[in-house]
Amino acid sequence: MTSQRASVPAQLDHILHEMSEVRVTPKGERRVRVDLAADRLPTLLQLLKGHGGFLHLSSISCVDWPETDEFELVYHVWSYESKMLISAHTLIAKSPGRFVSVYDIHAPAGFYERDIHEMYGVHFEGSPNLNKFILTSWHGPPPMLKSFDTRAYVDETYAWRDYNPQWLKDIAAKGGGIEE
Amino acid sequence: MRPENYKPVRHPPSHEYELYFGPNHPGIEGNYAIRVRLKGDVVQEAITDAGYLHRGFEKIMEERLWVQNVALVPRICVPDPVPMEESYARAVETLGGIEVPERAQWIRVLMLEMSRICAHLFTFGGNAATIGLYTNMFWGVTMRDLFLDIFEEITGARIYHMYITPGGVRRDLPDGVLDRLAAVLDELERKKPEFDDLFFENAVVINRATGVGVLTQAQALAWGVTGPNLRACGLAHDVRRDDPYLVYPALKFDIPTATSGCSLARMHVRRAEVEQSVRILRQVMERLRTVGGPVRAHLPNPLAWNVPAGEAYARTESSKGELAFFAVSNGGPKPWRIQVRGPSQMHGVQVLERILEGARIEDVAQIMFSLDACPPEIDR
Repeated sequence: MTSQRASVPAQLDHILHEMSEVRVTPKGERRVRVDLAADRLPTLLQLLKGHGGFLHLSSISCVDWPETDEFELVYHVWSYESKMLISAHTLIAKSPGRFVSVYDIHAPAGFYERDIHEMYGVHFEGSPNLNKFILTSWHGPPPMLKSFDTRAYVDETYAWRDYNPQWLKDIAAKGGGIEE
Repeated sequence: MRPENYKPVRHPPSHEYELYFGPNHPGIEGNYAIRVRLKGDVVQEAITDAGYLHRGFEKIMEERLWVQNVALVPRICVPDPVPMEESYARAVETLGGIEVPERAQWIRVLMLEMSRICAHLFTFGGNAATIGLYTNMFWGVTMRDLFLDIFEEITGARIYHMYITPGGVRRDLPDGVLDRLAAVLDELERKKPEFDDLFFENAVVINRATGVGVLTQAQALAWGVTGPNLRACGLAHDVRRDDPYLVYPALKFDIPTATSGCSLARMHVRRAEVEQSVRILRQVMERLRTVGGPVRAHLPNPLAWNVPAGEAYARTESSKGELAFFAVSNGGPKPWRIQVRGPSQMHGVQVLERILEGARIEDVAQIMFSLDACPPEIDR
């Protein structure tokens, strides 16, 4: 536990006491940010669920950080009792881009892990279903990666065509039209 | 007498078959599909199939200025677009440390509750149509149209208002609109007994929807269900009360619940929520007659606005449940990451698949509509 422990809300203190190397940052009323190493994350979620009443996995977010070649995974858990949202942030290396599934702790993870796998290519070991869901006919790289340039893809894949119908010419004749 | 060359058709020993339900099926909610494996008329397995409405919003938003995304976000959920605007705006305000003026907060609540009523009216109609009652659909849509007239008057648009912007709302209310909204609310209340007669007291609805598509509270909690679907299982959780935003703490409203967790219970909760929304709207309208001041905070030049680096998780109670926007800024003029957490991502996928198991084919559409899944929220 780092020096910021003093600012931890009281009801969380006893849970985080069992964890080491956890940085806790209160982010306003009912929001707490927790930073920790990836291998500690499932333990934290288990402790929060078992001892803190954080039953509801609101979401799992993935953020691509190409400069450090890392993915940031954020697990947002909500407690119906203490009415607080904890966002647990962890970083994993983009290569090999593998992480453990938390489906056995929180069933909603099944959807989010499948989505992140599809959009970012992160493989969650033990996730019940990582089949394609939304991009069934897509065979390119995971599109949410920062390295995937939408505009370049469109330029390479489709031909641009001039669009200059009569009504637009009429507008242009009156001094209007599309500015390049 | 059979002809000599007659050969009877040999059926396979198993009578299991697969049915593709949607996306162009009147019993499916929006552009969505369910692959259903049946034995007789009982569902053995249901697999949802999304992607028909994927427009890549999250990716597009990373390539637009913060302010440009105001025009994109309402399009994520067609029936209930205002919570999308609110969540996005609040995420940006949290990042930028912007205080929303009081009058703008009241106006936003007005918009949010009107949107909730519209979405529920739509759902009543859709739900009734799945069991063969089409009048509800016509009446619901007609009633909703009166609210759309008010939306149009306030924002200039009927569905995608692009009205709630970071820092407040785009412009103040037009003169006299509160009186016209009061008349619409009166009309809704006048019509309520007729709606009840047509739907909630209709023997067809009661027989078809009672005890169908049951979700227990334990299942709902384990599977991440929120909103009216969770409240229909007896848990009175509402983001407006438990994680409040805007001026909701200053408003008096109840959180309706039911206990049986079936299709009918979910619709009863929505019906009660419409009543509560009307109650909220009347309080808001009263306040708006006295609260003055600006409707927008002073913002930096939106075309060259570098939102401070950080992250924000903005939760809103939409008509379907907990809606959240996760916004990350790296201090640049465009979002680094926006994630949309739609409530239907839970009850429209894993939950739907599970509670459809064992259901009968004629109830598949009804169960989906009673959960009020919104496919565009899943696809984004």
